[in-house]
Amino acid sequence: MTTHAMRGQRGGWLAVLLLALMLWATALPLQAAAPQHGSTAAEQAERQVERPLNNAPVWRAVRSGEEHFTLSRSPEAGVLIQSEGNTWRQLRNGPVTLYGGWLLILVPSAILLFWLVKGTMKLHGQKTGRKMLRFSAFERFVHWGTAISFLLLAVTGVAILFGKHVLLPLIGHGGLGLLLNAGKLVHNYVGPLFGVFVVLMFFAFLRDNVWRPIDAQWIRRAGGLLDGSHVPSGRFNFGEKTWFWFGVTFLGLTVAISGLIMDFPNLGDWSRADMQTANIVHAIGAILMLGLAFGHIYMGTLGAEGAYESMKTGYVDETWAREHHEQWYHDVKAGKSGHP
Amino acid sequence: MSTGKLKSIALATLAGAALLGLSACSEVPQVTVYEQGQYRGKTDARPWEGGEFKGDRAAWEKALKERSRGQNEYNRIQ
Amino acid sequence: MGRMKFLCDAERCIECNGCVTACKNEHEVPWGVNRRRVVTMNDGVPGERSISVACMHCSDAPCMAVCPTDCFYKTEDGVVLHDKDKCIGCGYCFYACPFGAPQFPNGPAAFGARGKMDKCTFCAGGPEETGSAAEYEKYGSNRLAQGKLPLCAEMCSTKALIAGDADVVANIFRERVLRRGTGAEVWGWDAAYGGGERKQERKQERKREGQS
Repeated sequence: MTTHAMRGQRGGWLAVLLLALMLWATALPLQAAAPQHGSTAAEQAERQVERPLNNAPVWRAVRSGEEHFTLSRSPEAGVLIQSEGNTWRQLRNGPVTLYGGWLLILVPSAILLFWLVKGTMKLHGQKTGRKMLRFSAFERFVHWGTAISFLLLAVTGVAILFGKHVLLPLIGHGGLGLLLNAGKLVHNYVGPLFGVFVVLMFFAFLRDNVWRPIDAQWIRRAGGLLDGSHVPSGRFNFGEKTWFWFGVTFLGLTVAISGLIMDFPNLGDWSRADMQTANIVHAIGAILMLGLAFGHIYMGTLGAEGAYESMKTGYVDETWAREHHEQWYHDVKAGKSGHP
Repeated sequence: MSTGKLKSIALATLAGAALLGLSACSEVPQVTVYEQGQYRGKTDARPWEGGEFKGDRAAWEKALKERSRGQNEYNRIQ
Repeated sequence: MGRMKFLCDAERCIECNGCVTACKNEHEVPWGVNRRRVVTMNDGVPGERSISVACMHCSDAPCMAVCPTDCFYKTEDGVVLHDKDKCIGCGYCFYACPFGAPQFPNGPAAFGARGKMDKCTFCAGGPEETGSAAEYEKYGSNRLAQGKLPLCAEMCSTKALIAGDADVVANIFRERVLRRGTGAEVWGWDAAYGGGERKQERKQERKREGQS
């Protein structure tokens, strides 16, 4: 494959991702309901002649959600009744909180059970003591920047959605108020930083995460996770690539963009409906991302011996490299850059 | 750190998370009927308690009813 | 005591914005905050109607249901109040409220951050000590504790806006509709289903005019 053709392929994937993102947002019922048009002025004028004091056309206009005349300069002050708010409330307090909550309890529990049964993935061979550079200083900076900002956002965000149900019985209204006041500030200011790190992350790791024929082996054998067999892979295996494309890129951008919309309520010309959509997209995206992040954190710490060292110091033992990323090991040994 | 120690820590974390998650099942009532003392953190004096009525609920209700009726101008014309 | 309610008589509201001004003055609300507003449908056209709207103190208040810090509470009289000390300015109550009642001061501030939410209190103050300076500063005056009704309704010049116990408010409005002369028939069969013949006649008239 020529470089040119590959570039085209990458652009295509990005376009597909962004399209999926947009479709997902517009599929929510919040935006779908086009305001039903109420009365025209003529209808009301006619009604006043036919049946004086019968204001049915006016009440239809009240219910329609259209903007009417008002002296108030507040946002959307001309709308008397907006129905989308109830849809948003039902979605957020209903499925998002319920299924999101279950996901955040079940995923870590499943991972812990898996670990209790299978234990840490140990190296088979003896350590050679010879080290190889796996992550450059810049890559580690980007990784830890994303990781720390993500964890801060996750803790504060989860507190905003579930704090009322989980923390309130423990610390009371005063404690929750204080905690969330600080939490919302952290969430608002760390949020844009996370967005910057996601973009940096995308460009830093893009070339190593393009799918290769060798990934087919990994998929067929489920990464050797269950039978413990050895699966050769390049610098990143298919599991890591999936985390990169779906977790970091798609969900990361989804959460960052929807978050920025809510973070700057007065900068864009956002309507309430935009905010409601952004909030639902943000919550679903963030919970899914957190669920995947549990898996990623597990593999990077408890799951595989030596994985945490590689991101901490940047270096891995040659045995580790041969056992986890064989193709990458041979490439580096052969004097190549290690990048595909 | 030994694996046994790690396992016990993991089990404790699991139990803690389960406990925290289960506490969410204790439905927090969105109190419609205001009950003094039951809704901590938002203690508020009822309108007849502080200020002019000094706890005389009947007097407060009477005063408010008078005022409400005063909004009916037909009463005033007669 | 029952249930506190606002009612705006669309036949009487003349869009003078007196209620808006009274509210702003009574509570000295911050700039950019309108606890009450008047909305006019079909402005400038025969048959235009205005409605004064603020917090409706819902029974199943959406703001209460979505608040992350659970800072809202409901009094025995059905007034929805909130605790500004616990408000984090997330704006969720504004997303959820059908009536657009929650307001946020210092709008275009640094990074567009919202301040503490402010809304109509039915002139019942907040959780601070009744009649204290702190209560006035945060929530405005507590007229209910003085045995008075919300100022917007009490000073309404045409008595379009009525406030108070739901039963009393309903009685006043019922009597008013009965006395309105033609008003009584608004609720009857003729009002709901009559007039069709006249409408048909006019339609045919227009048709004839169009043909000629």
